[in-house]
Amino acid sequence: MLEMPLPIVNTLGLHARAAAQLVRLAATFQCSLTLVREDTGLRANAKSILSVLHLAASSGTRIRLVADGEDEAEAVAAIIDLFSRGFGEL
Amino acid sequence: MKRIGAVIVSHGQVANELLAAAEAVVGEVSHLTAVSIGWHDDVELAQNEIRRAIDAVSAGNGVLLLTDMFGGTPTNIAAMFLKENEVEIVTGVNLPMVIKVASNNKTMTLHELAEEVVGQGKEAICRAGMLLAPQRVGKDA
Repeated sequence: MLEMPLPIVNTLGLHARAAAQLVRLAATFQCSLTLVREDTGLRANAKSILSVLHLAASSGTRIRLVADGEDEAEAVAAIIDLFSRGFGEL
Repeated sequence: MKRIGAVIVSHGQVANELLAAAEAVVGEVSHLTAVSIGWHDDVELAQNEIRRAIDAVSAGNGVLLLTDMFGGTPTNIAAMFLKENEVEIVTGVNLPMVIKVASNNKTMTLHELAEEVVGQGKEAICRAGMLLAPQRVGKDA
């Protein structure tokens, strides 16, 4: 199991289209992928868009990614890259 | 995998716009379509449009009709198509419900999908302030 903080650097935060990009990417991996809000402890399945939207994560919200499964390392790297690029909105 | 089709049926342009918004989020979806019933359309015309829409999205696994309001004309006309295991109706459609249907990739029966969409629709209605409050508390602390 891997755990990493995710930077939310784009102005709009984890909004609907950004969440959709995350879900599409997450779905390409076999491992389980969970997002956890640091402040509230709220958890979301990164492969479900409505679950991700319920986190209401705005710019600067501290969340971390928990990946568990065979391809967890690749999944974490790819998702961190997506977040670091601000979902292509920077 | 054979998908369950869905048709959004509403008064005015609500159905078209809900579909457009869902597609802006999850990308184009081929198993979903929308029928907007004009305020002055006659019943037969609307019925034909819904029939055509059902045929267009049906892949043999059933079709879910998402209507705007129980008791309204779109729901009443849609109800003419109700058929066990073939056509189900869920009323009170909102954007999360459409996104749920659009992004669903689990294999399930029409009945199961209808139940999930009802649950999703209800869950999506909340007082946002109640959910966002802990965050503000956290910042103040």
